[in-house]
Amino acid sequence: MTLLEKTPGAVRSKTGFWPNNRSTIIGVAILAVIVIIVPFTATSSMMNIAVFSMIFALPAIGLSLLMGLAGQVSLGQAAFFAIGAYTHAILLQKFEVPGILAAVCGVLAAMLAALLVGLPMLRLRGHYLALATLGLGFIVMIAVREWEFTGRTTGIYGFGRPEVFGIPIDNNGLFFWFVAPFVIVGLVLALNLTRSRAGRALSAVNDSELAAESLGVNTYALRVKVFTLSAGFAGLGGVFYAYQVQIVSPQVAEFHVSVELLLMVVIGGLGSVWGAIAGAFIVELLSEGLRDLIPAIIPGATGEVQLIGYGIVLILVILLLPGGLYQAVRTVWAAIRRRSASRRVAAAAKVPDGTADAGTGDAPTRAFGGVPGEPAGPPAVADDEPIPSVPAISTPLAAGETILEVRGLTKRYGGVVAVDDVSFTVPAGRIMGLIGPNGAGKTTCFNMITGAIPPTSGTVSFLGEEVQGRKPHVGAVRGLTRTFQNLQVFTSTDVVGNVYMGRYRKGRAGIIRGMLGLQGREQYRNEEIAHDILDAMRLGDVAGLAAGDLPFGRQRMMEVCRALASEPALLLLDEPMAGLSGRERDMLANLLRALRDAGLTIVLVEHDVAQVLSLADSVAVLDDGVLIAHGDPESVRNDPAVIVAYLGTDAEEAKHELEELEEHA
Amino acid sequence: MTDFLQLTAAGLSQGSVYALLAVGLIATYTVRHVVNIAQGDYAMLAGLGSISLVSAGVPLPVAILIALVTVTLASVLIERLVIARVKDLTTLVSIILTLGVSTLLQAIMLLVWGAEARRLPAFPGEDLLIGGVSIRSQELWMLGTLVVVGGGILLFYEKTRWGKALRASAEQPVAARIVGISPAAASVIAFAIAGFAGAAAGVVSSPIYLSIWSGGLLLGLKGFVAAVLGGLVSFRAAIVGALLLGMLESYVAGYVASGWKDAVAFFILIIVLIIRPAGLVLRPNAVRV
Repeated sequence: MTLLEKTPGAVRSKTGFWPNNRSTIIGVAILAVIVIIVPFTATSSMMNIAVFSMIFALPAIGLSLLMGLAGQVSLGQAAFFAIGAYTHAILLQKFEVPGILAAVCGVLAAMLAALLVGLPMLRLRGHYLALATLGLGFIVMIAVREWEFTGRTTGIYGFGRPEVFGIPIDNNGLFFWFVAPFVIVGLVLALNLTRSRAGRALSAVNDSELAAESLGVNTYALRVKVFTLSAGFAGLGGVFYAYQVQIVSPQVAEFHVSVELLLMVVIGGLGSVWGAIAGAFIVELLSEGLRDLIPAIIPGATGEVQLIGYGIVLILVILLLPGGLYQAVRTVWAAIRRRSASRRVAAAAKVPDGTADAGTGDAPTRAFGGVPGEPAGPPAVADDEPIPSVPAISTPLAAGETILEVRGLTKRYGGVVAVDDVSFTVPAGRIMGLIGPNGAGKTTCFNMITGAIPPTSGTVSFLGEEVQGRKPHVGAVRGLTRTFQNLQVFTSTDVVGNVYMGRYRKGRAGIIRGMLGLQGREQYRNEEIAHDILDAMRLGDVAGLAAGDLPFGRQRMMEVCRALASEPALLLLDEPMAGLSGRERDMLANLLRALRDAGLTIVLVEHDVAQVLSLADSVAVLDDGVLIAHGDPESVRNDPAVIVAYLGTDAEEAKHELEELEEHA
Repeated sequence: MTDFLQLTAAGLSQGSVYALLAVGLIATYTVRHVVNIAQGDYAMLAGLGSISLVSAGVPLPVAILIALVTVTLASVLIERLVIARVKDLTTLVSIILTLGVSTLLQAIMLLVWGAEARRLPAFPGEDLLIGGVSIRSQELWMLGTLVVVGGGILLFYEKTRWGKALRASAEQPVAARIVGISPAAASVIAFAIAGFAGAAAGVVSSPIYLSIWSGGLLLGLKGFVAAVLGGLVSFRAAIVGALLLGMLESYVAGYVASGWKDAVAFFILIIVLIIRPAGLVLRPNAVRV
């Protein structure tokens, strides 16, 4: 078998339930203690603030997920809150439905509304979801105000208080205990989600949508799900609001409620779930304080005077502390750790340090399907033995069968024809080189094959299925993946996190499993595999570094690792040699040969013609968007059309240059 | 029929207000890719400001002039103090920031002018009666303001060298710099134009549609809906869209129920974004992912 030993010094993330969940468990335990104590100690006005911050924490958590994961903002979170509250109140008051059922309906109604808005809006980038949700907020407010059924301006009132085991929840203390468990459960679910397969995929999307989709992430579907989920949290908040306030009127849908919720998330830190809860408490406190303070300063001030504070705080936080409380806490915490760590190092200076990264001691998974007969030494020796081990790949077809067929592929930009009627087939288990001068349309071809751009006409069949004009994830889930000429690195995570994203296609866990935390095993296994691939490719020593900090050549290798992690059947490499050192190029060339021998199909766009001619089984030549030659390297090398078009106008001189090139290689 | 024409006239005048706001929104969007949520608040600020000046004895034209200049400067100040401070102005951040500005402006108006809606005296002029349809002179002022201010901004962007450079600066900051316009200057000019257009809409509509601290958001959103009809880039399509929106609202208010009038814009927004997200004039798919 091939390399399975860990490279010495490789930093592995700790796996297992306790190390991964320690901070959550400690945090939740502290929160639970606070929740138990508060009703015994707080004053009545403080208790009121505490109850409302718990109620509003729910929509704030939802909004935080939407902003952090989907990178979108809802300015109508109050609308979903109101839909939950109204549905709950109407079912209780008019239909005398049991409380639990009414609550479930309230949450579902909010989610349904979000689904209806999200399905069209999340297809669009930019400001549209924000402004459409703002519009929804107005529509909901107008609807409940104008509709007899919702009680017009007076609203819905006269429904009972909740009872738990026969105890009526009729004071703030009891209500606080009633709502807090839901907030804690919601918090844990949301935290799980941010660390789940889906959550990590969405953070990757925020770094590079194209790269994430090329690894099989269906951005649109995930965003719709997160948006719907976020509305569910808002709906649940609305249910509790109805119970607590005992009247639901159009005020609950007012815009300043949405601003309040947004402010909670911004103060807490965009995308930070804990921050949303802290933000909820701070904003409730701020609101209460300002309502007392402003009329004292400016006599006669009435109405929503707290808005002045909201506006100022929103602007100041974004300008001065864009990461909110979460960022502040992290900065302070990192400083404390650095200080204590340096103290510890000073104290332990004389003690030999051998157990720094003992890891968890569990055996590494056998992620690599080794190639029989593939020589592979232990990593320490392998430094001057540049054939790395080969990660697993999927081989859906026998070698030689057609895996990719391109027919009449054409791309026009106005009057410019970038790619003109290009047709070729790629047999499985072969390396095909795609060469041509600058601007010949190579990358455009790649982009059409992988779905990054739709072709003007023509078809692309991958494994017998037409994928042209579909989004990149369609081909990617079937085993078609790529690297990029201009690197598309997920900068918000580390090197191993990037390669882990390559495993997305091989994972199964969806949003619900992710929220319930039931995907640990799958995730640990995929992280192990990512580490194994990095070790094999001599990147094990930088696995824990931020991906953006790597030198250019190693980022490129990391992208290759990321693509390989998805166990592709067809790998498209866009100028993989660019920016690599001579040694790295040789290593990559050897790797590609080994991968080909293991059954992987590779299509390669490359400027290094000599490298391509020596590596590829067949070569296609593009010139000015037209395929001028396609055949084995020998015939392409001697094709007069290629020599003239690609290397110069004078065939004799071109041939001479070609020979020189070869000598260099 | 008279009813219909009456409603059409009212809709057109209301639509001209939306059109001015849409022009302001597009001005900043084309240069900074910021949808300024505070756009409608400029209108309310100018309206309330001129009302105070008039009640303090300042002649109406002077009061209006002061309000226009002040709000234009306020918009520039907002650009310098808030928008320009952010290095990486993502969509998310720009929405939150301009929402913060909008909230702050609203709160200031609430504290200064109180919660009551106020009215500027009507501009001078005779009401018209054409074939049973009465058109108030103020409505003609509103349409006239659109023609002068909206048309002027449109000509500036499309015909003058500066205007073209301004548009280019969004796409090609380097090229714009070569022409002699820095991105910072372009941004300031765009916000000044947005402030002026918003203020003009606010003063001219105040005698009929009143000015109130909280009115800007809804007004700005309707401007946004009109701007979306123009794909957020075309002034002409946005102006046409705004007039259509005003008419449609007027019909709903007249034939259905006045309470539902404000919901029209958002149904249009959602329908347009589903069917033609690139707006009325551009080829579709331009903004698809």
